[in-house]
Amino acid sequence: MAALKTEIIIETRALCYSYAGAEEVPPAVAGIDLKVSRGEYLALLGVNGSGKTTLLKLLNALLIPSQGEVLVKGISTVEAERVQLVRQACGMIFQNPDNQIVATTVEEDIAFGLENMALPAAEIRRRVDQVAGRLGLTHLLRQPPHLLSGGEKQRTAIAGILAMQPACILMDEPTAMLDPAGRRDVLETVKELNKTEALAVVHVTHNPAEAAEANRIVVLEQGRIVADGKPGEILTDLKLLHGLKLQGTVAAELAHLLRQRGLNLPTAILQNRELVESLCISEPVS
Amino acid sequence: MSGGISLGHYLPGNSFFHQLNPRIKVPSLVIILATLFAVTSFPALLTMIVLVFLMFRLARVPFRYLLKGLRPILYIALFALFIFLFFTKGGVVLFRLGPLTVESAGLWQGLFVITRLVTLVLFSLLLTLTTTPLSLTHGLGYFLKPLGRIGLPTEEVVMIMAIAMRFIPTLIEESQRLMRAQVSRGADFESGSIFRKAKNLVPLIVPLFVSAFRRADELAMAMEARGYRLGAKRTRLHEDVITATDWAVLLVVLVMLAASFYFKL
Amino acid sequence: MYIGTSKLTHTYWPGTPFAADALKNISFSVGQGTFTLLIGPSGSGKTTLIQHLNGLLKPSAGEVYFDGKKIGPDKAALLALRRRVGLVFQMPEDQFFSETVFDEIAYAPRNLGLDEKKVEERVNRAVAQVGLERSRLLDRHPFQLSAGQKRRVAIASVLSLEPEVLILDEPAAGLDPEGKGNLLNLLSSLNRAGKITIMVSTHHLDEIAALADNLVVLNEGGLVMSGKTKEILARGAELKELGLALPQVTGIMHELAARGLPVSTDIYSLSAACDEILQAKRADQR
Repeated sequence: MAALKTEIIIETRALCYSYAGAEEVPPAVAGIDLKVSRGEYLALLGVNGSGKTTLLKLLNALLIPSQGEVLVKGISTVEAERVQLVRQACGMIFQNPDNQIVATTVEEDIAFGLENMALPAAEIRRRVDQVAGRLGLTHLLRQPPHLLSGGEKQRTAIAGILAMQPACILMDEPTAMLDPAGRRDVLETVKELNKTEALAVVHVTHNPAEAAEANRIVVLEQGRIVADGKPGEILTDLKLLHGLKLQGTVAAELAHLLRQRGLNLPTAILQNRELVESLCISEPVS
Repeated sequence: MSGGISLGHYLPGNSFFHQLNPRIKVPSLVIILATLFAVTSFPALLTMIVLVFLMFRLARVPFRYLLKGLRPILYIALFALFIFLFFTKGGVVLFRLGPLTVESAGLWQGLFVITRLVTLVLFSLLLTLTTTPLSLTHGLGYFLKPLGRIGLPTEEVVMIMAIAMRFIPTLIEESQRLMRAQVSRGADFESGSIFRKAKNLVPLIVPLFVSAFRRADELAMAMEARGYRLGAKRTRLHEDVITATDWAVLLVVLVMLAASFYFKL
Repeated sequence: MYIGTSKLTHTYWPGTPFAADALKNISFSVGQGTFTLLIGPSGSGKTTLIQHLNGLLKPSAGEVYFDGKKIGPDKAALLALRRRVGLVFQMPEDQFFSETVFDEIAYAPRNLGLDEKKVEERVNRAVAQVGLERSRLLDRHPFQLSAGQKRRVAIASVLSLEPEVLILDEPAAGLDPEGKGNLLNLLSSLNRAGKITIMVSTHHLDEIAALADNLVVLNEGGLVMSGKTKEILARGAELKELGLALPQVTGIMHELAARGLPVSTDIYSLSAACDEILQAKRADQR
């Protein structure tokens, strides 16, 4: 029955990519098979240089595979004449909010993608207003980007993607340069869209607490998938994570330390709530 | 913190002049400037001055912006006055300074030329104070369009200028930050010979270029990811509509120009 | 007063419609050898304040002090100040301009007018301080290094001034968990072993709060709290209102205490949390 319901938005087959001039060193992406379904929230985890960003760019046709292929809604990203459809279906948010805002006001930036789709002005206006209302940007529509906070800039970028009515949103460490309030702002926005619009999300992050919010985690190392599972499985497997120089959530790390010191705790502790719960009812120290 | 950095002198507002279409504002300014050169009498020139002050009132521009805008031409104006005072002869001799004389024709002509210059600057200032650099670019881009026929990528030129404007505040902020960072590492950008000064700028210019190129790269990627393609047909959120008011303004300035010629004002 | 400000106010673009108070009437001071965190949401004035402490900006009103003396307007005094108070900007690797790592680190001591032999000694000491002495990267191009190495070279390029105070603006931004961990160890050892007074501006308290003696909290250009780490972090609700988050471990301890486990809540590191919980559990048993 699952096969009936789930629509595959993105599929990669034996995907490889080497940067020009770096053919001798191991490829940045070295044989990845990955499927992302409608409504899925996927976190991509890995240290700097593990190939996360390269993979993301391949999914959006910003890079073309050296080998293998990427299908977005069944369209291969090498089909140059249909690349617009790929980009409309799969929007991308970058790490640095400053370098992805093109226009001199918020509304013109939200409109940028729609202008590229050559929609009529009335339709652009309608969509800009609708998306701005949805993401709470209405009062900022006339503001120039350099007067926005980091969180507002990232929400503007998300609005610009959302206005194109995509099936999937790709995010490359979208909160790395934000303060806690901005971070919450962006994450809540994306989670809400994921739930209510069944928007698929692929979210590259270092932050275990952010990854814990996903419904699936894929871990990369040297361009390959080394783990793929639910947050409860991946983020509590500290042997795996520490081996890759990554961290689990704070609750998982603390539970791990306590277990090492002889406390009897279940292995699947991911969130603070679960740790507190088990500590308050747990067995005595052995 | 670049809240105050803006290109030109644009002053946000919602006045009559702020709302005029730049495609009308730009040629209107050209016509007004032509009128200024056409008028030859003091009364006509004074009328123009009164007019421009009224327009500033209507645009709700504080007086000190006018003074600020005029400051750069102060020396040119003084120099012009000096030339006319001492080198234009005719009329009564007003006073003597050794071999030099100041005659009344020189005084009148000098005052006339300076007044004309000031008026000219004020009209231009009104345009830049009430038009965002971006809509000014789009307005100018419209007049570049015919060049598209001979193969010039006018749409792209306008896009480049618009993006440059978007990034000017960012780059100014960045250069300030870099300058302070290097100063805190003991750099000295002020003293020494010209050669030495130029050499001292390397720690500023190299990182500024590196960062500008990185920004350009990332921005190009972000634009591409949102479906921008060179030479593809685009539409615009703010369709450029010329209203009846716009046409009326154009008509008024044309009548002014015609009148100044016809009545030899 | 070792280093601090008295009624410091800074206004950007005074006399224009854009005039904005970035700092309002800030008075604070910290003692020699301490580790201080300057926290606050984005745009709260942290960066402006630390630039004042380095004499890079001129106060609109009020004074800045270092070592009992007012930081004066005259150039010689400012130069003297900057050799004693080092400032590491946000994303400091953006300042790199040299062909080699050696030249990059040597820039500051050369600006001091030292001879090449002394410069080399200082470079070597700085490289050792940041833990890169054995990596033989002095002849490499700075752009070839990994993100974590670049950050450490950037810090070394300020340490080569041999300052008594080191101020860092968001020093962990953009690093992965391993890079972040290395950085915190470095700051801790500079403070403890190197006897350098450290001040860090940040909006993420996780992990770093355990190192800090004092906290200074800014919001919208005003000083809202300052004092011992323990005192400030006990005011979690107020911090949350400012959009700042307590360290996650501290949050867990609060929840445990609320559930009746006899643990103290002024815990900021995983290892301290582990000890505290074990002790409480053992006490519980008796």
